[in-house]
Amino acid sequence: MAVKYEKAKGVEKEHAVVDGVDISGHWNRMFEQRTIFEYTPELIEKIAVLPNAESFANCYQCAKCVAVCPVDVVGNYGPRKLYRYAQTSMDLTEAPELWLCTTCANCLRVCPKEVNMVKIMPAAREQAILDGKFVPPELQQAFENTAKSGNPLGQPQRKRDAWIQNAGAPIPIIKDLGRPVDVLWYVGSYPSYHPRGIDAASAAARIFTALGIDFAILGKEEKDDADSQRLAGEKGLFEMMAEYNIETFNKYEWKELVVTGPHELNAFKNVYPKYGFERPVLHYTTFLARYLDQLKPLLKHEVNVKVTYHDPCYLGRHNGEYEAPRKLLEAIPGVELVEMARNRENGYCCGGGGGGMWMDSFTQKHTKMRLSEKRAMEAASTGANVLAVACPFEVSRFEDAVKSTGNEHVTVNDILELLDRSMRGNAAG
Amino acid sequence: MTSDKVLIIGGGPAGLEAARCVAELGREAILIEKRERLGGTPDRENYAKLTHHWRDASEAMAELAASVTSHPNVEVKYQAEVKGLTGDEGNFEVQIEAGGAAESLNVGAVIVATGFQHFDPGRATQYYNYYSFPDVITLTDLEKMLKDHNVVRPSNGEAPKKIAFIQCVGSRDRQIGNEYCSKVCCGIASKQAIELRQQLPDSKVFIFYIDMRMYGYWENEIYWPAQEKYHVNYVKGVISEVLPKGGQLLVRGEDTTMSRPMEVTMDLIVLSVGMEPSAGTRAIAQLMGIQQNKYGFIEAGGAGGLDPVATSRPGIFVAGAAAGPADLDDSISRAGLAAARAVASLRKVKVLA
Repeated sequence: MAVKYEKAKGVEKEHAVVDGVDISGHWNRMFEQRTIFEYTPELIEKIAVLPNAESFANCYQCAKCVAVCPVDVVGNYGPRKLYRYAQTSMDLTEAPELWLCTTCANCLRVCPKEVNMVKIMPAAREQAILDGKFVPPELQQAFENTAKSGNPLGQPQRKRDAWIQNAGAPIPIIKDLGRPVDVLWYVGSYPSYHPRGIDAASAAARIFTALGIDFAILGKEEKDDADSQRLAGEKGLFEMMAEYNIETFNKYEWKELVVTGPHELNAFKNVYPKYGFERPVLHYTTFLARYLDQLKPLLKHEVNVKVTYHDPCYLGRHNGEYEAPRKLLEAIPGVELVEMARNRENGYCCGGGGGGMWMDSFTQKHTKMRLSEKRAMEAASTGANVLAVACPFEVSRFEDAVKSTGNEHVTVNDILELLDRSMRGNAAG
Repeated sequence: MTSDKVLIIGGGPAGLEAARCVAELGREAILIEKRERLGGTPDRENYAKLTHHWRDASEAMAELAASVTSHPNVEVKYQAEVKGLTGDEGNFEVQIEAGGAAESLNVGAVIVATGFQHFDPGRATQYYNYYSFPDVITLTDLEKMLKDHNVVRPSNGEAPKKIAFIQCVGSRDRQIGNEYCSKVCCGIASKQAIELRQQLPDSKVFIFYIDMRMYGYWENEIYWPAQEKYHVNYVKGVISEVLPKGGQLLVRGEDTTMSRPMEVTMDLIVLSVGMEPSAGTRAIAQLMGIQQNKYGFIEAGGAGGLDPVATSRPGIFVAGAAAGPADLDDSISRAGLAAARAVASLRKVKVLA
């Protein structure tokens, strides 16, 4: 069923009983205290004293962040408001607002005071977890899965490379290969386990093979990067995973690390260096764009679609890669590329970052619609029939979103799948 | 008889700087000051720290005064007031009374640097009860407490835990008649808020404002550190009522960015009073027949509007806050220009070669 778009969610209490009458969901705002009887600067202080969260105190209320905050577009949110809420009695560590930020960094892009929610939110969440405050159960589950199984989906480690059997290309495991390779391909958890992720991973394998790239994967030795878990507040878990991953990366000889996902790129390129891992890391779009000349002759079949491309926050804003994905799409014969109103630096978040991937049920209670639904509608409004993505979180998110917003005519594809289809024609299915 | 001397009226920052510049340009300056000492309002009102490098105000003013009193080209007359002025550019006869004795001075040019006074909060239409509640004070009152390192609630001598500044008291107000922005109060309130947090680290400090007007470097040198480092609370929405409540004061207003009513108790309330022309500025303008603007400040700007030291009478120049709200930078730079223009006017009328 299509979701009707409304700007802001009212503040009515979900559960309110007055004089024995249940007025839940009705206009019950008037029963909430309006007058501010006390300011609570100590609750701003509580956040600003946390390491990396100092900038929380910097907000001078210009409100530039609110209009570009993807959560405010579908609800009532924004860093500016969090500052004032804290100043007027909200303890962020126990407020639902704590979990709504996707760390998409669009607020930081426009903030004159460099209030950095990408650092503040993980710090505040970490404190909430340490203090035993409420953590959305589904997020808790993703943490536990990561700790127990090495991936947030809770899939068994021994099946991490099961997908390669049907990938349609030989995929060497570096341990079995017993020699150095040019490229160590870090596949990632969703491309290893999620059916639609496997589609993209298999496409990648076929493309790498066709290009003659000397690559290998870690296979059963690969574990989740845990960057989103870090941003969701589980720094301890992240550090444990980072230690394991760095040790594993260092066991083998390779020249470059290529990743399928932008979150993994962010982890290995920007965060792992703090833990002693400093090696070249490339997102697959950046990597493949380097091979454009060799790639173009392989793209033999026309793919007659109108494509709009969604910039993943962690590929675009966080890591500055806007052009490589577009170059790859434009290289495909038959593809017409159209832009959504919000693109590149101002790309709209899919809602999956910062742990949002594992909090959809929670987020839904506090917003009018999912961020992915808002974005799917924006994609559909361009007239495109394909929404192209470059992040393994996004295919499943947007496939749900095009359905729930009545835009089933829009197909969601990873760029890898489109390249593969052009390479193989109808054989690609 | 023509004269190549320049008379400067007022021994505050602007008058001192004007006298120093005239002297350094090689001319003779006569500086007359109503009080028995130099330093003007910063000295008289016990300013604690200046926004410039957080310098001690007395020390900075004493330094400026010394550079004037030690200069051989400057003659300073204390407890002196102007009683009359006749003549024209290049040849003014000025009747003064100095130390109780009448005197006549022949000068070629005059610089008026008679300054401002702080707005009297008793005139505010919001009835902040400055004269009835001891714990309602002004920026000036607080400045003295900060200078003495003795910030207390006047009602009981205890250190305040919660302090609120109310901005724009007596400024930007058509009913009061002061429609202009007094320019310095946002910066001074923020500077004092920092000093409060330094002297009383456990206090909570609030600034209730309409807009924060932090000119130029005050933004990054005062406002930002006040918020970022000293965690001063800035709340948009000015208090319009102060009521007694128990031993405290209840401030009422609207928290505009939350769109919620606000009623909070405070221990000490500081009224950010603005600037008005001093009695001396009003009197001297009348006496010399120079034009005042509708607020009583001396009309400056000249015919083209771009001469900030020209008055309506040739040969008479204005410097400092006598011409309108000004911070120290404004006052001192305008004083330098007034000195240069005064000396140039002597050349123009051929008093000087």
